[in-house]
This record gives sequence, C-alpha cells and structure tokens, in this order.
Amino acid sequence: MSGRGGHIEIKNVSKIFARPDLNSTLVALEGVDMEVRPSEFISIVGTSGCGKSTLLRIIAGLEAATFGGVFCDGEPILRANPKRGLVFQENSLFPWLTVRGNIAFGLHATGKYRENAGLADRLISLVGLSEFANSYPHQLSGGMRQRVSLIRALAVSPDVLLLDEPLGALDSFTRMNIQDELLKLWRENGNTMILITHDVDEAIYLSGRIYIMSPRPGRISGEITLPMSYPRNRSSSDFVEVRNRILKKLNFAREEREDYNL
Amino acid sequence: MNEKTASATSGAMHLMSEANVQSRAPTLWELRQIEAAPKSKSRLAADRAVAALPLVMGVLVIAQYKKAPNAGNAVATDTYAYFIALLASAVLAMLVASFFSKKAYARLLEKAPLYTAGFLLFALYDYATLKTGILPLPYFPWPDRILNGIYEDRALLLDCIKNSLILLFSGYFAGVAAGLATGLSSGLSARVRYWVMPLIQILGPIPSTTWLPIILIVASSLFGGSVFLIALGVWYPVTMSSMTGVLNIPKVNFEVARTLGASRARMLFKVALPAAMPNIFQGLTQGMSVACTALMVAEMMGVESGLGWYINWQRGWAEFAKMYGAVIVICITFTVVNFALKLIKRRVLRWQEERAD
Repeated sequence: MSGRGGHIEIKNVSKIFARPDLNSTLVALEGVDMEVRPSEFISIVGTSGCGKSTLLRIIAGLEAATFGGVFCDGEPILRANPKRGLVFQENSLFPWLTVRGNIAFGLHATGKYRENAGLADRLISLVGLSEFANSYPHQLSGGMRQRVSLIRALAVSPDVLLLDEPLGALDSFTRMNIQDELLKLWRENGNTMILITHDVDEAIYLSGRIYIMSPRPGRISGEITLPMSYPRNRSSSDFVEVRNRILKKLNFAREEREDYNL
Repeated sequence: MNEKTASATSGAMHLMSEANVQSRAPTLWELRQIEAAPKSKSRLAADRAVAALPLVMGVLVIAQYKKAPNAGNAVATDTYAYFIALLASAVLAMLVASFFSKKAYARLLEKAPLYTAGFLLFALYDYATLKTGILPLPYFPWPDRILNGIYEDRALLLDCIKNSLILLFSGYFAGVAAGLATGLSSGLSARVRYWVMPLIQILGPIPSTTWLPIILIVASSLFGGSVFLIALGVWYPVTMSSMTGVLNIPKVNFEVARTLGASRARMLFKVALPAAMPNIFQGLTQGMSVACTALMVAEMMGVESGLGWYINWQRGWAEFAKMYGAVIVICITFTVVNFALKLIKRRVLRWQEERAD
C-alpha cells in the first residue's frame, strides 16, 4: 500500500443545490480556491453547514461542482475513483461483511486482491484489531469501526485520503489515540491527506496547513501554515496561540456575516 | 420463609463463588440461576410433579385406549397405542435426562404443561370417537384409523410428497428469480421502476390462483401451467420486498463502494443484494406461503399427482381417514420446508444485530 501523494487543485468552485420542495436554490460554496500539494496534510475547519463536506464530496467525485474546476494531478475530476479514498463520519462500514470482508472489498473491486494476499490482515493487526477480523460491524465499538473505515480506505493505496470528520462521533481518549495512528499511517505512506473537522485542536495537531471556512455561502476565509514538526504538544504555548488565532478567525467570520445581513 | 430464602440464597452464593474460583464471568445459564428468585421447598416438589405429568398422561392415554370398551363393535389395532407409546417414551427420555442435567430439567419443566395438554387432547378425541361415538364415522375417524391409513398408503404418499415438492420448488425458484430481477432492477433504476410499477399495481392485488381456469385452458402442459401459477404468486411479494429493500439502503453504502472502485455489477451483487437481504427474506417467507396455497389449489383443480390431488382423490372414495392423514402429511411437509427456509435466513442474515424475537 505504498501510496503516492496526489496533487489536488480547486479553481473558483461554486456549488448550488436545487431545492425543488421550496422552489428555490441554495448556494453551498462560492468561489473556492484551494491547492493541496502531494503528500501534504491539510485540514479544513468551519462550523456546521459551511459547505466543507460538500467540498470534500466534490473532490471525491461524488458531487459535481456547478461552476469552476477540480483537478487531481492535472486531470479533471468527473467521478469517484479509488485513487481518492473517502472516510465518512460514522456507520459507513458494510454491515453484512466482517471486518476482513470490509477491508477486502476495495481490493476485490480494484482487482488488487491476489497481488496483495494478506494485506487485509496486516492492516487489521496494524490498528490492533486482529481479534476482531471475523466480527461484524455491529459487534464493534465506535472507535473500532472508525479504525476499520480508515484502513479500508487505505487498503487500495489511494493517492489522496479524504477524511470527513472521521473522529467526530468518538470520545476524546479514542480520538487522541486514532489521531496518533493517523499521523503514523500518513508518515509511512505519504498519501495526500485532506481532513474536514470542527475540532480546532485536531486540525492543529495533525495538519501542516489549515483552511478556515465561513458559512452561507461557504467560502475560504483564512489559511494558516504551521511549521513542520511532529509530534505536536497540545499544551505548548504555540499550540494555544494558533488555536486562539483560528477561533478568532471563526468568530470574525461570524461577525462579518452579521454585518452582511444588516 | 427466612430459612428457605437463606438456603436458596446460599445456593446462589455457592454458584457465584464457583464462578469466582474459575475466574471467569458466569455463563448466561449460570447468570439466570444466580438471578432467579429463590423457590420454596413445596414449590420445588410441585415442579417435580409437573415434570412427571406428561409421562403419566401418556400412560393414561394408552390405558384408556386399550382397556376402556369401544362404542358399538368398533375395531381398533395397536398402531395408535404404539404411536402414543413412542411419544411417551420421548417424554420418558426427557424425564430421565432431567435427573442428570439442570438444563434438560428446565427445558422439560417449561414444555411439560404443553405436552400434557397434547396427550389430553388425544385422550379426549379418542373418547369422543372410538369410545363413545359422540363424533360419528365416517366424518370423524379415530386416530388409529388415520395412522393406519397413512401407513397403508405410505408408498403413494411418499411419491405424492416428492411430486408436490418438485412442483412447489420449480414454481418457487422461478418466481424468486423473476421477482429478484424485477425488484432489484426497479429498486436501482428509476426508469425501470417507471415501467414496472404500473404492472405491479395491476397484477399485484389479483390472487395468483385466479388465473387457474385460464391456465388450465391455455397452458400446453398442466405442470408448466402450475409452475407459472406458483411463480406468479411468489413473484409479487419478492418483487415488492426486494424493491423496498434496495430503496431503503443507506446512500452511504453505494458512495463507499464507488470510492473503492466498485463496478456496476459489483454494486448490484455485492452491495445492493446483500444490503436488501433482510427485506428480501420477508418476501421469500411470504412468497413461500403463497406458493403452498397455489400448489394445493393447482393440485386439487388439475394436476394429477401430489398431496392436493391425493386428498381430492380419497374424497372420491369417501376415505376420510386417509384425507385427514394427508392433511397431517401436508402439515409436516410444509413445516419442514418453512423450517429449512428459516435456517437459511438465520445463516444468511447472521450479520444482523440479534433481535429479541
């Protein structure tokens, strides 16, 4: 599963949803520009409903942008592709497959199962779930399920891994553990990582660059580049200062919206 | 009261300490024992008596049958006595086992009232027919006559079971295949649904047996016609359930499959089909009961073999005992078929969270 980092370019993307029941439209994203270089780890933070999930789904190829262009390694993104793996927030495992079956699904689908015999089991032991290889998702805890979702996406060696609040529904201890596992996996494989989160600490702990989004319509309202040093100390003064800067920007975004409404 | 409770509690304590010594959590069975309300001595003795009740009742049934005088000059063979003896010895085996295993005892205790009632029913029916003639022949043959009727015609009945099952499963599997094809495709594609839905809405409410007179005329072979009839009856519930099943699949399953590179065929067979399975099995179960009904109607109306035909044929000879016998054989056959379906369902849906039922 030697992933090669993919290069993502988002050029002036807008997404407008039809709302036939209200006979109206909704602008979810407006003029988003973004670039993620190969093997970079970036986060997108913002309040609920700021369009960050929509943006991720457009990068994944599950939604089409209304205006603008989205490119992966220079090629326009038209549909979903196993080069760009996606990890959902929760309960996205196939309930009828065991842990091993879930992880093997992508290997079978991409025809990589034969040449990667034993990969599923290696990945399972990597996240410490060997005991549960033959368990069904409903028999696992929330944290275990998210670990399985993570390695299921990684099994097909994606160039880009898209993480849609993958730890949002977990308790804080499990979350910190998986954050460390995530960092380890990233540094071993060198995939490009795009993480959506509303947890500012998580974004700072994990990423090299953070985009801040503001809602209605969803826009990029700020960008913060962090020095490349891992592991990060969650209680260091720099960490706290960055957190304050981001929170201020998020607040500022809200005030600006209120101004706009006046 | 205090003393009794204390002794029962110490029993529970004993169980708990035993579990502690083995340094493991108690099994479900042990936990039930620990949690169970303590029973008084008289209650324990009453339980013993209840456990022995089915056996006593069974022996009484045989005694009544052999010793009590028959009404008129009715003759009865020993077949019924052997049959009851067989049931009674099964109960005896459970009783013996209950002295060696607490689990077997608990199971017997739970079922004992039911078994006793069963024997009681036999006794009452025997009394009302053979012994007194309150329920007269030929409409109410006593059990001995029914058993002898089944035994006499055993070769023919076996052949009928075989023919019925061949017809049942030919129609059933044809209907399931057709139902899955229309159901899954209309679940997955709005365009297919557009054309299939009106067809379902028109054909669905018509009981499939309605078509029988037409099929009897049009079909080139009665067997083929009956297969079609059964298949039509199965097709509707399987179509509906598999379509509903697919429409209810959470979208995220398909999205995950797309990001993992699944082809359309994989999406259909490895995502839509297994995800819709819980719904599909509802249709399969419902379809089986429709199929059994259609089978009986087809065999009584036209097909010249099978259990439905056998009942009708024996009616022609006014052989009521054999008609009742056929009903019993049909009951056993369909029970076995439905049990097999249930086992398959449990196996296929083992990934589901366990339900209380």
